Amino acid sequence: MPLHTLMFGWEYPPRHLGGLGVACEGLVRGLLHHGIKVTLVLPFATDSPDPIDIRFPTQKTVEAIRVKSFLSPYDSAEAYAQRIKHIPRETAQIYGEDLAHAVHVYTEMSVELTKDLSPDVVHCHDWMTYEAGVRAARHHDQPLVAHIHATELDRTHFNPNDWIYGRERWGFEQADRIIAVSNYTKNIIVQHYGIAPDKITVVHNGSDETHMPQETTEPQAKKHPMVLFLGRLALQKGPRHFLHMAAMVHAHRPDVQFVVAGDGQMLPSLIEETCRLGLQDCTVFAGKVNATEARKLYAQADCFVMPSLSEPFGLVALEAIAQRTPVILSKQSGASEVIGHAFKVDFWDTEKMADCVLTVLREQPLADQLMNEAPRVLQKLTWINQAAQVHSIYRNIIRS
Amino acid sequence: MPHPVVCFYFQVHQPYRLRDLRITEIGKGEHPSYFDQEKNCAVFRKVAEKCYLPANRLMLELLERHPTFSIAYSLSGVFLDQCREYGEDVLDSFRALAATGRVEFLAETYYHSLSSIRDTEEFCEQVTLHVRTIEDLFGRTPTVFRNTELIYSNELAQVARLMGFTGILAEGTDHILHGRSPNLPYIPPHFRLPRTTEQVIMRHRPLPRRAEKIHVLLKNFRLSDDVAFRFSDKSWIGYPLRAETFTDWLTGGGGHSVNLFMDYETFGEHQWEDTGIFEFLRALPRIWEERGIRTATPSQVIETWSGENRSEEYDAHNLISWADTERDLSAWQGNQIQSAALQAIYALGPLVKATGNEDLIRMWRMLQTSDHFYYMCTKYWNDGDVHKYFSPYDSPYEAYRRYSHALCDLKARLGHQPTVKPHAHHKRTPRHPTP
Repeated sequence: MPLHTLMFGWEYPPRHLGGLGVACEGLVRGLLHHGIKVTLVLPFATDSPDPIDIRFPTQKTVEAIRVKSFLSPYDSAEAYAQRIKHIPRETAQIYGEDLAHAVHVYTEMSVELTKDLSPDVVHCHDWMTYEAGVRAARHHDQPLVAHIHATELDRTHFNPNDWIYGRERWGFEQADRIIAVSNYTKNIIVQHYGIAPDKITVVHNGSDETHMPQETTEPQAKKHPMVLFLGRLALQKGPRHFLHMAAMVHAHRPDVQFVVAGDGQMLPSLIEETCRLGLQDCTVFAGKVNATEARKLYAQADCFVMPSLSEPFGLVALEAIAQRTPVILSKQSGASEVIGHAFKVDFWDTEKMADCVLTVLREQPLADQLMNEAPRVLQKLTWINQAAQVHSIYRNIIRS
Repeated sequence: MPHPVVCFYFQVHQPYRLRDLRITEIGKGEHPSYFDQEKNCAVFRKVAEKCYLPANRLMLELLERHPTFSIAYSLSGVFLDQCREYGEDVLDSFRALAATGRVEFLAETYYHSLSSIRDTEEFCEQVTLHVRTIEDLFGRTPTVFRNTELIYSNELAQVARLMGFTGILAEGTDHILHGRSPNLPYIPPHFRLPRTTEQVIMRHRPLPRRAEKIHVLLKNFRLSDDVAFRFSDKSWIGYPLRAETFTDWLTGGGGHSVNLFMDYETFGEHQWEDTGIFEFLRALPRIWEERGIRTATPSQVIETWSGENRSEEYDAHNLISWADTERDLSAWQGNQIQSAALQAIYALGPLVKATGNEDLIRMWRMLQTSDHFYYMCTKYWNDGDVHKYFSPYDSPYEAYRRYSHALCDLKARLGHQPTVKPHAHHKRTPRHPTP
């Protein structure tokens, strides 16, 4: 009998906003490779080429549960409105205007959808699915793994929405084991959620980027060195720090161009900031890019900067090194734990960040070495290897 | 069979670590200092308190108590410079040791550099500078040479011989010894260097005349490393190592001399005082005296050898060193950034020397210290293993960033310099003063 994991996810490609969906897919594929049976519950219908049992609410189940959900009122109307206001707009757009409600519906229907299964372990991804996971684990009387891809503290620069923070902490407490995507995240959970460190195992995200096509750039087409930012234009990702770094690079090397790829609520203020810093002629806002466009940008860039204020992992860093681009990473990130051949700078030290960029642009042997050496880690950091670690966590908690 | 003699040599060196230089301060003619004064002073004082001062006190005590005990040091020039800057007390304690007459000082490159493999003329000049400094400080002329990190090859042995040295130190690696004992006398294969190289050495050599022959003293790396690396390792089968046991091992191998070469920082810094390393050291001469084991300095060992004709060759066709398990040069020139940095610094040589500007020449030489390149090593720079190499910087890339900034600034300063002495670099290195 293959080991059966009942997994609760929130994002899944092609419907995903960020790393959560990508990581979920990678992990599921890795687990399948190891012969594990996966049932995945998602809040929306999706197709997958992989042999997974994906379950999602049909119109009928949603209707049924919605009716039910009106019967169990939220706290006060005021608190409810307040809560909705604090959910970032772009999240609300993808997840539906009413995230809290969506979570509630998801939770209610999840037990219903999976009650006839007999899984060996229940595994849930980020706070939206924690209650579903806890209930399912109780129903099936099986151990619970809570996977944490990003905490509320990362998203809000340590000004959390109390309701979300509370649900995260409750999930951590209920779980038999927590998987954190980095030591950085593990430390946050220990320090800010009061969870015992020995309950948390770090499994870094993997990457299947080595199988992706290597973009080629034509050297003669390039006149100016290009420095890239790629990520949601949200506080957490540090786009403003990127611009401040850019201004310092520009002062020293006016020929350098900056590309800011990604979309988000900060776009208008970032454009304003760009003009204020006098960078309007050398900065391009590329908007949201798809995977292929992203790979092209990485390949064109002479240097990729990830100035995140708090980054549980930072898959973009792995994507960049896969395209042989030298990277400069925020020390406040999980990716900086696994990528050895990179510059690592505190996100607030934009001056040093600029200095590193200028050094990479000036010193060809340095750029060459970073390009050649950094991608080696991808050979080791595959989803098959990372899923093997998750597999062994399953075996351990099932046995105990 | 008589016991082998024990030959103790300790390496004493501190680099000048680089400051967190920024691109905004370089090339502006403001002459920023490249070095982290505060950090260098702090490290020096820390090591002085933990190692240099207590170890020298102990050595002095041992020399006074045991009239046949003798030891050797190699003090790098940059270490001596730092003594003058941060610790005259340390220098005084070495002077006190020298005054016993039973402490030998070896010759090395003043700047603890890799010049031996890059620039023969510069190599000779740095050795000369070092020899003159040792003479000034301790009143004796070194006759035995040890190269930076024990870097060695057949060719370097010949260079050292032409410089006038009768002995040279090397790592006794298994792949060259082929089962022979490192405790025996060896000579390098004899051959002639290219004429031009011989002439360069002749013009710049530190000692008045070439040596007819040169002997190689091989480090007994197993016994040396038992003390230097394994002494406090609780998972090691020899733990805890007692002076009696160690002495048994010393005599067990037979041969002529057991050469124990190690960093002086072994005592108190690499092996902390609470490991019992000082007590271990304190006990050794007493036990040796009881058992009739003599100690000798490198030049004394060589003197006893040179009476006879030796033919056993130590054939180091390629460069070796005492670093890592590879015993090669990959710790300093194993990746692209290291090669680029080495290439760049030595390419500046003729330009720097042509200025005749002592400050610039000194700065250029301070940037040659091998530690700068060592800090850029990425041999073990993979996940989970990142702290294998000791470094004052965050990463090998940080080391390169600082270094390349310093180089850029130096280049910019050269650009502003008039060439005052067009043939300055052809001048002869000051010779040994005629008595």
